[in-house]
Amino acid sequence: MRMSFWGKLLGTAALLAVLFVILFPIYWMAASSVKTPREVIARRVTLVPQSFTTQHYEKLLSASNFPTYTFNSAVISLSTMIISVSLAVLAGYGVYQTKFVGRRVFLRAMLVAYAFPTVLLLVPLYFVLSALGLIDTYFALIIVNVTLTAPFAVWLLQAFFRNVPQDVIDAALVDGAGQLFVLWRIVLPLIAPGIAAIGIFCFVTSWTEYLFASILINTDALRTLPPGLAGIIGQYQIDWGLLMAGAVAMTLPLVIVFALFGRSFVSGLTQGAVKV
Amino acid sequence: MRAIALSGQTASALPRQRFSLGYVLIAPLVLWLLLTVIIPLIGAVGLSLQDMRIVGTASNYIGLANYGRVLSDGAFWAAAGRSVLWVVGNAVLQTALGFLVAILLNQRLRLARAARMWILLSWVLPTAVLVIIWRWMLSSAGGGLINALLIEARLIRLPISFFGSAESAMITLIVINSWRWFPLTALFILAGLQAIPDELYEAAKVDGASAVQRFRHITLPSLQPVLASLGLIGFLWSVNVFDVIWLLTQGGPSDGTTTLPVFIYNAAFKQYRLSEAAAASVIFGILLLACAALFLRLVGSPERER
Repeated sequence: MRMSFWGKLLGTAALLAVLFVILFPIYWMAASSVKTPREVIARRVTLVPQSFTTQHYEKLLSASNFPTYTFNSAVISLSTMIISVSLAVLAGYGVYQTKFVGRRVFLRAMLVAYAFPTVLLLVPLYFVLSALGLIDTYFALIIVNVTLTAPFAVWLLQAFFRNVPQDVIDAALVDGAGQLFVLWRIVLPLIAPGIAAIGIFCFVTSWTEYLFASILINTDALRTLPPGLAGIIGQYQIDWGLLMAGAVAMTLPLVIVFALFGRSFVSGLTQGAVKV
Repeated sequence: MRAIALSGQTASALPRQRFSLGYVLIAPLVLWLLLTVIIPLIGAVGLSLQDMRIVGTASNYIGLANYGRVLSDGAFWAAAGRSVLWVVGNAVLQTALGFLVAILLNQRLRLARAARMWILLSWVLPTAVLVIIWRWMLSSAGGGLINALLIEARLIRLPISFFGSAESAMITLIVINSWRWFPLTALFILAGLQAIPDELYEAAKVDGASAVQRFRHITLPSLQPVLASLGLIGFLWSVNVFDVIWLLTQGGPSDGTTTLPVFIYNAAFKQYRLSEAAAASVIFGILLLACAALFLRLVGSPERER
């Protein structure tokens, strides 16, 4: 469909408005994090910072537990990502490459698992993990996060497996290569964007997970960023500059990962949506 | 859709011997989910028949007493009512916004390509961060941006307390949560829009169909499967929202934003009624199952036509 000049102008203006609604709060957070405490809480708000200071960031690094929380979050998110991606790639390849009886049931079960309201698992998982003595360990959160992410990862990956030409695989198999060799050397490079997509999904989910992280971890030294940051709200008599600096520091890795791999994530997401 | 399914099924030159390998490959994930979903759920049913208050303490079997208690608890049903309100409010707002934005993103605009990715940023944002930003933007104290702008524009004279009453807190929460989720909704609808072949529109145009007619007779019916799965998944995901509500209002003021997830959380971890919380979870699960079944019956399963 061709669009007139005015149509394009109107469409672009509307899109800019949508982007503004999404991006402005994020800009506001970043701008506030470099204002002096005085400007931060001034009655007359300044849309563009009139002052510049890094004091909130310095305080964040030296006088809060933020570095510890970041370390904990990084360990848990990366471990989750590695386990979840491995499980999903193996299962995804199994479904795609071998036509075993019950694969439809399996895929259906994955769909149910990812739509499953996780709050229903709150009490059950808390109960079982405490019985196993895993409360207050990294393991508890890694286990939970893998469970939260792996089923969706399998789904997301399906769209990418479908794009692998079957002849390539068959040729390698006829040449006598083993299935795992084929998966590792031929299929994996071809579905690299898919791996990136599910990797992001797993990382982002664990990096931002609040509910289980607040229940399963009690010791401050093991706390992750989401409950850690939320805890700062109560801990200090609300120091908005510090909070904004913490929020920026927590968001930055996500924005970087997203800028690098977001495109394949979005395409996997939307392709998966149509084919569900 | 069908073409893709077919190409997946035909190919394989050497099929049979791989049957067992498929099971081996899915086994780790199946085992993992068995251990972390199925067994805990069974354990929770057992827990709901006990009178345990704090995990690890001694408890007795008391049959279905917890179920009776939860089902006759007015607070439980009030929370269920709020959950319905929450889901409907979110669904309406997100679908409306999602549709508008999806149509925008589907135009041949230079900005649309980049926008497809960057609008997802509100969804990528951690809840803790989102909560801090919004709480501060809506603050009625110094530095609260929205109140300051409204006062400057002389629309109001005194700062609004957005979380002050049950009603305004609920509305504010729904708006904030929709802000987070409508981009994802838009992308799912966009994916559906892009799957509609252009020829359909061209043909309708040749036949003299107006834009509204094309939307009603081509766009909506073609989107039906996408909207059906989006509706179901959106329902399950939004009924599940806990963190945004908890971190902004803790279910208050005076329980005005206590939805079922907040109710269960409170029962388990604030009031130390673990077994009752387990019973409430089971009942909640059954209610959701009933809603999902009803939904599929009314809207039709997206998979039925295969």
